Amino acid sequence: MLRVYIDFKSAPSYLALKPTLALAERLAIEIDWKPFRTTERKMTSLDPDETVGQRHRRIRDEAQRKTAIKYAAHQGIDLRFPDHPDCTDLALSALSVIETDPLPFIHAAFHAYWQDRADLDDPATVRRLIDTTGTRLGADLSEICDRIEIAQSEAEADGIVGAPAYVIAEQIFIGREHLPWIEELVRTTQL
Amino acid sequence: MTEHGAPIHVLKSDAPLIVYVDIKSPYAFVAIRPTLALEAELGLQFDWRPLTLDIPSFLGSAEKKDGKVVSSKGRSPRTWNAIRYSYRDARRYAERQGLMLKGTEKIWESSLAGIAILWVRQTARDRLAAFFEAVYPPFWRRELDIEDIAVIETCLRAAGVETDGFAAFASGAGRTLHDALQAQFHAHGIFGVPTYVLDGDVFFGREHMPFLRWALSGRTGPPPDIAYEIV
Repeated sequence: MLRVYIDFKSAPSYLALKPTLALAERLAIEIDWKPFRTTERKMTSLDPDETVGQRHRRIRDEAQRKTAIKYAAHQGIDLRFPDHPDCTDLALSALSVIETDPLPFIHAAFHAYWQDRADLDDPATVRRLIDTTGTRLGADLSEICDRIEIAQSEAEADGIVGAPAYVIAEQIFIGREHLPWIEELVRTTQL
Repeated sequence: MTEHGAPIHVLKSDAPLIVYVDIKSPYAFVAIRPTLALEAELGLQFDWRPLTLDIPSFLGSAEKKDGKVVSSKGRSPRTWNAIRYSYRDARRYAERQGLMLKGTEKIWESSLAGIAILWVRQTARDRLAAFFEAVYPPFWRRELDIEDIAVIETCLRAAGVETDGFAAFASGAGRTLHDALQAQFHAHGIFGVPTYVLDGDVFFGREHMPFLRWALSGRTGPPPDIAYEIV
């Protein structure tokens, strides 16, 4: 079992979905999908009074977006970042209590956020995603809004610092760039 | 300015790929051998250059003694957790390469080691890999004071590089060249190491090596995704 933490507003999580599923299929391994709330910064515009640190962060954020867009295109994804990163807490709370196969909901939530600009903290939107994907939750949607807080505390206590995060053989890997090592671990731990 | 007086553009080179590194970055450390291996595999000569990170400006600062943090400025618990993860991550990949990576006790001023790259680049380019081996692994074993020019000169000699004139270069033309490069980075979208520049496009991190290999060897088949290649 490979544990994978994601946030729907995280472009690296979105871009990790396809290669992670490919790995799972190749190795016939199950994935335990977990929510992790990432911090996505709003793009800042050029400020003539910015400090060196602010400039560094602006340049880094711009570069990370360009990189994500470039590799998204390789996957056939037209990645367009929202002007303001929206909260995805309710969808993440829902993910933490899904009783059925979570994949249809995960696919739908990523698509809703990145392609439709949907508000994944809006109960009506999340309800629609649950219904259209035939997903069953272990609790009523109206009662789970704080589940992400619990899941987040548990994840942070386990050492998760970002998403996508992979946990396998007691090791944590942040980012899909680690998939070669993760694959090696899966193969050796399965032997 | 180049050693010959012409300006160096951070995104331009006669070489097929520019590689920016800084000795005090653990991620640059674990990128050195794989990048050298790619250079050898493709039979190319990359243009290696220094990028001296100004870490306190974006990650805050800290000082350790005997493995314990004795002072810290501008670092939140979240920043600390991310930094700890980064070191653990770099360490496990270093160990895969047979290298030891100990967390640094302070944020080093590493420009002298960067200027040494410029020196090797202009006086003994074929010794650059040997210089990296002479300076990077011992630094990350905490065996080198890279702020001491005598130590850097010892590393240069160990790599088979002549050091006559290095001290003057380090305080004169080399320093000017180094500082002129640093001043251009942000304006051209470069912020960290390792950074690779291919045809003017900037790639931060060794996870782009599969793509760079694909691009430098004819772009056959679909472009590969990011990955830390393992051996």
